[in-house]
Amino acid sequence: MERMFPPKKPSTMNSHDRPMCVQGDSGLVLTTDPKPRLRWTVELHERFVDAVAQLGGPDKATPKTIMRVMGVKGLTLYHLKSHLQKFRLGKQPHKDFNEHSIKDGMRASALDLQRNIGPSSAMIGRNMNEMQMEVQRRLHEQLEVQKNLQLRIEAQGKYMQSILEKACHTLAGENMATNMKGTIGGPQGTPDVGVMKEFSSLNFPSFQDLNIYGSGDHLDQGFIPTNNSESLFVGKKRPCPYSGNDPFKGDHHKVQISPPSMDSDPMSEIYDTKPVVLHGESIGDQKKFDAPLKLERPSPKRSPLQSERTSPMVNASSVAQGRSSPFG
Amino acid sequence: MDMDTIHNLDFSGYSTITNTTPSSEDDYAYCTWNHWSPLVNWDALTATPDDFHHLLDSIVSDGAVEDNLSPDNVGSNSVTEEEDLKGLRLVHLLMAAAEALTGATKSRELARVILVRLKELVSHSAHASNMERLAAYFTDALQGLLEGAGGAHNNNTRHHPNHYHQNDTLAAFQLLQDMSPYVKFGHFTANQAILEAVAHERRVHIVDYDIMEGVQWASLMQALASNKTGPPAPHLRITALSRTGTGTARRSIASVQETGRRLTAFAASLGQPFSFHQCRLDSDETFRTSSLKVVHGGGAGEALVFNCMLNLPHLSYRAPDSVASFLSGAKALKARLVTVVEEEEEAGSNVGGFVGRFMDSLHHYSAVFDSLEAGFPMQSRARALVERVFLGPRIAGSLGRIYRTGEEEERGSWGEWLGAAGFRGVPLSFANHCQAKLLLGLFNDGYRVEELGSNKLVLDWKSRRMLSASLWTSSPDSH
Repeated sequence: MERMFPPKKPSTMNSHDRPMCVQGDSGLVLTTDPKPRLRWTVELHERFVDAVAQLGGPDKATPKTIMRVMGVKGLTLYHLKSHLQKFRLGKQPHKDFNEHSIKDGMRASALDLQRNIGPSSAMIGRNMNEMQMEVQRRLHEQLEVQKNLQLRIEAQGKYMQSILEKACHTLAGENMATNMKGTIGGPQGTPDVGVMKEFSSLNFPSFQDLNIYGSGDHLDQGFIPTNNSESLFVGKKRPCPYSGNDPFKGDHHKVQISPPSMDSDPMSEIYDTKPVVLHGESIGDQKKFDAPLKLERPSPKRSPLQSERTSPMVNASSVAQGRSSPFG
Repeated sequence: MDMDTIHNLDFSGYSTITNTTPSSEDDYAYCTWNHWSPLVNWDALTATPDDFHHLLDSIVSDGAVEDNLSPDNVGSNSVTEEEDLKGLRLVHLLMAAAEALTGATKSRELARVILVRLKELVSHSAHASNMERLAAYFTDALQGLLEGAGGAHNNNTRHHPNHYHQNDTLAAFQLLQDMSPYVKFGHFTANQAILEAVAHERRVHIVDYDIMEGVQWASLMQALASNKTGPPAPHLRITALSRTGTGTARRSIASVQETGRRLTAFAASLGQPFSFHQCRLDSDETFRTSSLKVVHGGGAGEALVFNCMLNLPHLSYRAPDSVASFLSGAKALKARLVTVVEEEEEAGSNVGGFVGRFMDSLHHYSAVFDSLEAGFPMQSRARALVERVFLGPRIAGSLGRIYRTGEEEERGSWGEWLGAAGFRGVPLSFANHCQAKLLLGLFNDGYRVEELGSNKLVLDWKSRRMLSASLWTSSPDSH
């Protein structure tokens, strides 16, 4: 917060260059023409950019909100309207081709970068090379990030698995010990094929086939390291009634063991044996990337009726304040 | 409320806004939640005592509302429209109940009546609609407020996750992580920032406010241990805070110890030098820097990081004083990095008293429910489990806290608090932003990342801000 509103220091730089400018008390630089016009100094512009960023970008910010956030005396809506318009069109008075432009939207193609500069053509030639190098650098960095993300997700998955196994073993131990009154039918013959498959999906085999619906087939090609407890667990008809009835009291009707009908168990809803996978679109903005980024996502996402259904609240919010409809 | 206005409601599912900019300066703070639903003439709703008269009519006579509308229905959307209608009715009722509990025309009796009606209409079941389940949890929460006399007993006893069976919680936790990016977003953003902040250190010390199962640290350890280029992995020390006291707190200590064992084993499997410590909070959950063992001094010093996760699935009703004491501790110890992940509130939501914040909360959780459904529309049981284990309690805790803080105290976000307390923001790197976008790409298209200021990333669901991850420092090194 404090960074946004640095202590106001009088900016003296302009009073020498343009004898026609006067310095107001608020630090604004106004010209003394018959028609006083505001001079957008570097500092003022930076505050403007900060305010816009705070408000969620040039499309969401309005002159009124910017004025509020900036809190600069003497700055009027008129000043802000025109400056905002220019900002949106990319015709920035200062040649700041900075981090903000690149980060916003991540559309780091040479074409987009060129558009941002606008019609001051003198600069285009000079900056094209810089831009292209910048783009290259960013692309490399993105690939690094992608690779790392995969590893990190896998690590997390492994860790989660160790938690679940532990819980499962504990429960299995309890079951054997307490010998529940036939609700589960004892350690043997528990039909928990569905339950078993649940755990297989906890390994995210590889970034490429990142599918929430794990399937038994993926087990072998997984990254699973030689961890004893895992191999013990997976693939064997172990009596681990993960969603066991016995310690549950109350209305846990959702989580129950049942004969192989997969859908009575909330876990099996997600971690089903049937590999219902489908090549989803590539990620968001990253359409430029090639194959490794194709992800398989569960098909239900595509169900047409469902995609229209949102609660009254979200529907409403998605159009508030001029934001575009997500399904637009 | 003018029942006739309902004829004008647009059922197409897409709406155009009537006006977006506030008409006057004063309206600004109110316009946010007043303007987000073009489906309903909210201004009319919030106006006069006539509202309640009409509202009670609708409570009493069920069919009345639908009858007014059926003639105009066009074709195939009638099922959706009915559900929308029902959804709206639930929203009206909830708002009326909140109003009755705390508003100008305060009446516990009225609130009680409305809640009774609500209970008939809502359901926790997986077969119910999102709106019905969402309303069920809000109804529960309001009921709790009504009974609890301001709810001193709401704190820590009811709805504590440990109250449920361990496996239920774990299953729900697993599901939450796989069905939505909420958990991973916070963890990964914080971890990336930590990695960058401690890049060339030999020793790293992370103090974790609420470690839970320790899942966050698995990926951090992996990243630290697998860095083939550059210096060898630093020694990682994690101190987890645990709550003292009796009952649930004792379980907290045991679970923290268990987490420690697990993390130690995991680190060993990676070959990552690691040690784990616990630090007890006082009985009122205040953090004291004196109870923390820190290593100071020169080159052998450690890079200190304070990690504060306040979002799902962490408990929402951490006393603000406790969090404040933790963050103050960070300042006192000149932590190199403070990572905070919290739920975002819409600007201006603090205005409008309890009802305003209630509605904002309703809006927020509605978005959560929707985001889960959008990704997994068929898996209603899974979602219902997550809702039951995590969302319901969080809603209750959240409302309880809002109710208790009352109108005078407008608590902003922790990000604002940190800024005001003298912390400096740490800029988010390109890599971090990029990682967040890639992560979201693994989930539904409706998720977006926003950069708010240079040190804050926000996770949005369809233009609604859900979570923010922000980075701060209070160390003397200049950035």
